[in-house]
Amino acid sequence: MLTNLIFIILFMLGFYALIMKTNLIKNVIGLNLMEAAIFFWVISFSDIGGEVSIHKFGETMGKFNDPVPQALTLTGIVIGASTAALLLTLIIELNKFSGTIDRDQIEELND
Amino acid sequence: MSLMNIELILLTVLPVLIAVFMCFSTNFNRHSRNFIAVMGVGIELALVISLFVLNFEAVKNSNFFLQYTLGYTDTPFVINLAMDNLSLFFSLIVTSAIFLIVIFSTQYITAKENIYFALFFLVLASIQGSILTADLFTLYLFIEAITIFTTPLISFEKTEETTRAAMQYLFYGITGGVFFFISMILIYFNLGTLKMAAVAESFALISTPMQLTIIIFFLLALIIKLGIFPIHFWLPRAHSACPAPISALLSGVLLKVYLYIFMRLFWTMIAFDFLVELHLSDFVLDLALVSSLIGHVFALQADDLKKMLAYSSIGHIGMILAVLLLNTEAAFYGGLLHITAHLMMKSGLFLSSGYLLQTTLSHNINDLRGIGHTNRLVFAAFIIICLGTIGMPPLIGFVSKWYVLLAFLKARHFFGAFVAAAGSIIALIYYLRYISHAYETVKEDGKSIKEELLSLKGFFSSTNKMKSVIYIFTILIIIFGLGFKILEMPINTAIFELLNPEKYIELVLGG
Amino acid sequence: MNKLVKKTLITAVLAAAAFALYYNFSLLPGYQDLEKGISDYIITYGLHDTGSLNLITAVLYDYRAFDSLGESTVIFGAVSGIVLILSRKMLPVSSKGLSFIVKRTLGIMTPFIALFGFYVITHGHLSPGGGFQGGVILAAISIIFSIVYGSAFDYRRYSPQTKTVLETGGALTFLVIGLAGIVMEGAFLKNLGFLTAERGTLISAGSIPYINIGVGFKVGAGLAIIFYSMIQKTFEEDF
Repeated sequence: MLTNLIFIILFMLGFYALIMKTNLIKNVIGLNLMEAAIFFWVISFSDIGGEVSIHKFGETMGKFNDPVPQALTLTGIVIGASTAALLLTLIIELNKFSGTIDRDQIEELND
Repeated sequence: MSLMNIELILLTVLPVLIAVFMCFSTNFNRHSRNFIAVMGVGIELALVISLFVLNFEAVKNSNFFLQYTLGYTDTPFVINLAMDNLSLFFSLIVTSAIFLIVIFSTQYITAKENIYFALFFLVLASIQGSILTADLFTLYLFIEAITIFTTPLISFEKTEETTRAAMQYLFYGITGGVFFFISMILIYFNLGTLKMAAVAESFALISTPMQLTIIIFFLLALIIKLGIFPIHFWLPRAHSACPAPISALLSGVLLKVYLYIFMRLFWTMIAFDFLVELHLSDFVLDLALVSSLIGHVFALQADDLKKMLAYSSIGHIGMILAVLLLNTEAAFYGGLLHITAHLMMKSGLFLSSGYLLQTTLSHNINDLRGIGHTNRLVFAAFIIICLGTIGMPPLIGFVSKWYVLLAFLKARHFFGAFVAAAGSIIALIYYLRYISHAYETVKEDGKSIKEELLSLKGFFSSTNKMKSVIYIFTILIIIFGLGFKILEMPINTAIFELLNPEKYIELVLGG
Repeated sequence: MNKLVKKTLITAVLAAAAFALYYNFSLLPGYQDLEKGISDYIITYGLHDTGSLNLITAVLYDYRAFDSLGESTVIFGAVSGIVLILSRKMLPVSSKGLSFIVKRTLGIMTPFIALFGFYVITHGHLSPGGGFQGGVILAAISIIFSIVYGSAFDYRRYSPQTKTVLETGGALTFLVIGLAGIVMEGAFLKNLGFLTAERGTLISAGSIPYINIGVGFKVGAGLAIIFYSMIQKTFEEDF
């Protein structure tokens, strides 16, 4: 229950930052917050109180946590990082052209 | 029948190899690089056509199924690549269009070609991967890969407008991807599997509110990616800011790939009855029709040639989505026929407008005066393709719009029929506006002579290739318009796949 | 619309969606109740099939190796795209770097960081870690060089051409191992069985260590290229 609550609060906060804030860097932070909330929820929900999913050499293990959501999260983190790098690059370029990183001011300058 | 068809994996891996190779080709001269690029896409196209030709009997009897398992065959998490009639149909039309676009872009792009081609081939690999995969997580990966790879191509020419368009495109695209990820994780937590066929088998076991959440998140993701109202604001900017071959790729090819993913998700994996039960199909249908109307109306006030074409894309895609959601056999026929038609027409339009706009000052409508006189044959091809998009017989645009209209009337959906007809009439007005501007005689002599000289001097050898690609598109539109019965067999078998997902499920799981 | 009205409207919509989602998620089955036994197969047979002690690495590089291939291709494409967007014909100008104390301290620490990075990459199948994680640690070294010693030092040490070669080498390693899987074992990216020794040692688990090394170099070089391209714009200012 607590996991779901934290996930939903973080996700909605990130979504709010993405659509309502006008500073472009804050939008990127909002997007990262949304993705971080999802990763937190995935790992935390699949935790059944077992051990880390790595066999110890020569010992028999008890209950293991589920390794598949952890692998999915790894892939998601990598995609999120590449996306953030690409977005920040575009913001750097845009700043060079228009001198500002505010979404509304860039719209005004053009239209 | 678990056949290990190695062509499926080669279709995805070969473009990646060429892309990695292209990155290193800074020191090659232009001819060898262009040759390698065209060879690469040519081999890809040859592979797909050979798959179609060698299994022609199986395709005709709707018995066609190829599969490839990556790894151990019996474990529950292995990744499958599967190709049935629907995938084969889409793979054929998409690869053919990309082949022609690559030939055009070998002559059109004159700077930084190595990274351009590397990214282009990576996009091709992701497109093939997303068409062929039978696993939900691989599908997510390839969809995100398509978005990430096309973004630098949008801001290829470095101006403020292109960078802003690319940034907006990436923001919207990744948000759609995030929603897709949530849905996928929800499916995993509920059912414990990521194979689309296994999900299809046991989707009914999930409780109804959870089904609603999963379907809504998938719909949100696809609505963002397809550019349906109200989340369409990125599409005109992104599709008009990129160079012409990339516009053709994004607007012509990529939107159809997202439509294929929509069909795969909502007919094969989640049976369409769930959507009808939850009353979502009517809602999305009306939304798509409204989006189509808005797309056509906004094209009337677009002063930029490529923005007008992008708004026209929004209009057509909305109509195709609406007709597919009617879920009758005639609707599928019209929808798939219009997908093929729109693919050819929009690619042809963007490529020919790219060619014509090389000699004007800007894309603004006031700067287009006189290009009808300087490039007569290419502009005539442009007019023919425009007529196809409006729906003039005997071109294929007329045939496909006729079937779409029939499907709406048969299902007694009069709002849909009205939108389809109104779309054509509004399209007539805004295309005519541009054509008339282009045929105005230019007052000053100097401008037109300068344009002629420019078009003769620099591009002499390259214009022939670019022109021939445009002519090929035009001829295809005319041929398929007159002989659209050729397409009837592939489309009917593809419709069979849509209406009978049990065959797909059984073959993927049992193989 | 007024700014305040718009804010309250959006907040209300998001709050309603939050409540709906919370009600929905409480209907999710608890993890133990799923009768399909989500990953029982992998937990039971993972070690036997792949030979790697780390089950997450087994999932990531063996059962779902195609996804990892796609992911590393995404990094490759993102790096190419960033180089395309930020390409300038500029000569690198050096920046000053930080003070003497920082330079000395990091001079001592950097070899250990590199060693730790290589440890994480190569022991991916024996302990937590793998190609992606270790690659990021290696990329941090290049970033340290740029920040602490000045970007000219980084340019002389590992020029962008070296990084591009490393990155492409990593990409090709993954692809070649995958294609070798077709030739030798009959399926793309299948674990090459003949490379296995006894499990629990470094050379075990088939092709997984080699895939890890390839991915590690690719990710490390890729992130270093991204950082270097980004700071090219701020050469005139010192940190």
